[in-house]
Amino acid sequence: MMVALDIFLRLAAWLLLAPLLPGIINKVKAWVAGRRGPPMLQLYFDLAKLWRKGVVLSTAVSPMHVLGPAMAWVAILGAALLLPVGPAGASLSFRGDALLFVYLLAFARFCIALASLDTGSAFEGMGVAREVSYAVLSEAAIITALLTLCVQTGSVSLATMLAPSAGAGAALLAAGLFGVLLAENCRVPFDDPNTHLELTMIHEVMVLGHSGPPLAAILHGASLKLLLFAVLLAEAVLPLGKLSLLQAIGALIASVFVVAIAIGLVESLLARLAFRRVPLLLTTAFLFCLFALLVAWKGGTP
Amino acid sequence: MTPGWLMLIAGGGVVAGIFSAFKLPRVWLAATLAGAIAAFAAAAWMLATGVVWNWQPDFVIGGEKLHLQLDGISAFFLILLSVLGGAVALYSSEYWSDKNHPASAPPGRAWWNGMLLNMGFVLLCANGLHFLIVWEIFTVCAYFLITRERQRPAARAAGWLYLAASHVAMIFLFAFFALLSARTGSWELGPMRDHPELAPLFWLALVGFGIKAGIFPLHIWLPSAHANAPSHVSAILSGMAIKMGIYGLVRFTGWLPTPDLSGWVVAALGVVSAVLGVAFALGQHDLKRLLAYHSVENIGIILIGLGFAMIAASHGNAAWGQLALAGALLHVWNHGLFKALLFLGAGSVLHATGTREMSRLGGLWRAMPWTASLFALGATAIAGLPPLNGFVSEWLVYLGLFDAVSAHGPAAFAAILAAIALGMTGALALACFVKVCGVVFLGLPRTEIAEHVHECGWRMRLPMLVLGTACVAIGLVPILFWPALATASAAWQPALTTANALPSAPLVTLGAFHLALAALVILAAIFLWRRVKQNGVSRAGTWDCGYAAPTPRMQYTAGSFAGIFTGWFDWILRPQRHAHLPEEIFPAHADFEEHTPETVLENVVEPASSLVMRVSMAVRHLQHGRVQSYIFYLLLGLAVLAILAVMGGAK
Repeated sequence: MMVALDIFLRLAAWLLLAPLLPGIINKVKAWVAGRRGPPMLQLYFDLAKLWRKGVVLSTAVSPMHVLGPAMAWVAILGAALLLPVGPAGASLSFRGDALLFVYLLAFARFCIALASLDTGSAFEGMGVAREVSYAVLSEAAIITALLTLCVQTGSVSLATMLAPSAGAGAALLAAGLFGVLLAENCRVPFDDPNTHLELTMIHEVMVLGHSGPPLAAILHGASLKLLLFAVLLAEAVLPLGKLSLLQAIGALIASVFVVAIAIGLVESLLARLAFRRVPLLLTTAFLFCLFALLVAWKGGTP
Repeated sequence: MTPGWLMLIAGGGVVAGIFSAFKLPRVWLAATLAGAIAAFAAAAWMLATGVVWNWQPDFVIGGEKLHLQLDGISAFFLILLSVLGGAVALYSSEYWSDKNHPASAPPGRAWWNGMLLNMGFVLLCANGLHFLIVWEIFTVCAYFLITRERQRPAARAAGWLYLAASHVAMIFLFAFFALLSARTGSWELGPMRDHPELAPLFWLALVGFGIKAGIFPLHIWLPSAHANAPSHVSAILSGMAIKMGIYGLVRFTGWLPTPDLSGWVVAALGVVSAVLGVAFALGQHDLKRLLAYHSVENIGIILIGLGFAMIAASHGNAAWGQLALAGALLHVWNHGLFKALLFLGAGSVLHATGTREMSRLGGLWRAMPWTASLFALGATAIAGLPPLNGFVSEWLVYLGLFDAVSAHGPAAFAAILAAIALGMTGALALACFVKVCGVVFLGLPRTEIAEHVHECGWRMRLPMLVLGTACVAIGLVPILFWPALATASAAWQPALTTANALPSAPLVTLGAFHLALAALVILAAIFLWRRVKQNGVSRAGTWDCGYAAPTPRMQYTAGSFAGIFTGWFDWILRPQRHAHLPEEIFPAHADFEEHTPETVLENVVEPASSLVMRVSMAVRHLQHGRVQSYIFYLLLGLAVLAILAVMGGAK
């Protein structure tokens, strides 16, 4: 009973807090640009509206178009269950759950990609091709980051891997993971969530054909994924396991805020890259993770 | 019933199938299925009880006594053979029916059973001479299956290439077994780990079995043979025949001592095969050729696991080796199941449309919902995604690699590279199968042939359903299959496995998580589906940036989808592009064609063999049948000998 309650509360927290993050980022962007910007809770309003709306389906689509977003949403939720929340730990933790975490996100990508190709539009084809291509490099970076944490702690379970800090290579790892976060969540400089030119989009063009509740599932899943990466980044770098309960919670919340503000600042201050440069930047993120791994290797096991 | 009787029924059923293949197709099917079920039961019995079945009658073939042995490794591969042999035989009864192929179907059935029988014997033989004999017969049976459509030049060329490559492999295996029996004084096979002088023979086995398995630079025969064989043959080739190479490697690395370098070389070949296999797959436009390159990739994943298990075995039986081995072995099953499923799905597409060219297909899900869903299931499995079986085996290999890294041992650096390569391979495979599913089954039909298609009949659907169910079962309850893995890996190197009894707890949790995930996925899908229906659906054409009349030909093609990847791997794929760009104000004609050749074959093997041919042609002038010249050679030789004798001061 307690386990069920625990899982329920965690899921509720993840699901309810996730749409807040894009709101914060948009506020930061508006503040830098000197605008008032949309309200912090804008995504909640959008989701509520989309959930009630009717759906326009292309005449080309198969059931995958609707089922894909649902499957992807569940997969991201499953990944959220595996990620420990600071001192509270994870609701489910076992040897090798770190790899399941990565592959659940890959499964989500697979489902969204198929749902998107379903419309038969060349624009969606472009978006999906870019998404799955760049994901190869970010996957390499994430595996390297996991290897770093594994060398650091001697474990393949997220709860143990994320408890201590990443040691001497923490800054490198943070830089690498931040790059992956930007790429995987389609932020500037990899992709621009606000762009209106289909030819240059990645993620936004993938969901052009979606509307109504399936679009709500995609948007909510995307915000949840962003929160997952922010928490993962914070926990990988900070020694949350060594802090007291309140300190750890405070540090976690503060660092997620810092990540959101950093994303907002990056989006305000940087232009997005030309597509042929995206792999270079992702390779840089991968190399950051690799150097963090070498530093951790030299440092030996604690 | 004892395994002996079961094996007798299995062998009897398959042999009865050979005799009934020509006149009585129904009897053939029943006998083959009965044989497959009996073989399945015998192998399952062995894996469950762990009791080795030995049969040594006083029966002499080629001067050697027959010795059949069903141990953990044999049974592990035999069970896959029986599942695939039975399921695909049922498929072929509709796919390659007497009605459509009156000339080639009856002998095809006989060759089919001949191949099954001899693959079974390869797994059971514990005598080197008999191993060679049945290996050769199985290879030749496969040749006749590949060239079922020998009126097509491409099929003949593919068969010829297969036969040539297989016999190069055969030369290495001859050398391997002959040297082995010369050193040990007997053709009997068995554990010989206490003879370190046998270690160098491993290299012969690696090349011989490696060609059959399709390890990267040795895979040259594989793509064209898989693409041009009938689809049920491609399924058994990819699902089982190339696994016979893996069987040989697993068997003889377990029985014989191996050189120090061997584990590293196998792991390195695994990494190369995995990454380049999937890179080549991305460059393909032919559905079955693409699947064939994925076999190279998955053989690579198996070899990564096997290689690290060998490294662990030579470094004090480290615990992570057991994980890597379990992952490799489970991936043998998994790849056999999902690759056969995918080839059968490709066969249904080919059956319905008559083309393997992906860019001419599209939107097939409407007419072929079963094939499309089962193909998507296989695609999810082969991309290594949870909650299906591909993830379970890759996860075990990953665990082995991560443990090797955290052990800080000598293999840690190699394990880091292998883990990163495995991650990239997974993401590349995902991209490739997104491409296949999207281009072939989703969207709109690109050409007319994709419009008038039909779903396959139940005899083609049922085998796919069986294979798909097996994929789901291994994914959702992996723990059920754990005893089989334990028995097989105990037969490999007992020292490695007894030292490290594997904790099965993480596997139980993973299975439970997969079950919950699958249930939730289905629930969420139903929930969203109902919500969409409730909110109301209106239909409209796909929005194409405001074009008034978009045509299906404007859809993204396989080539354009993989463009980013073919750019990255340009250095090895060397795609050949022919383009006529639109010119002038009113361009009349423009086209673009891209083709990714088999680089190793065209840039390495063919130049090398044409060099050999040129040298041979030049040397041939010496031998032309003119007696005068031969007398001249004789005189010349005598003269040279005389000069040598005079100058050398002969005694």
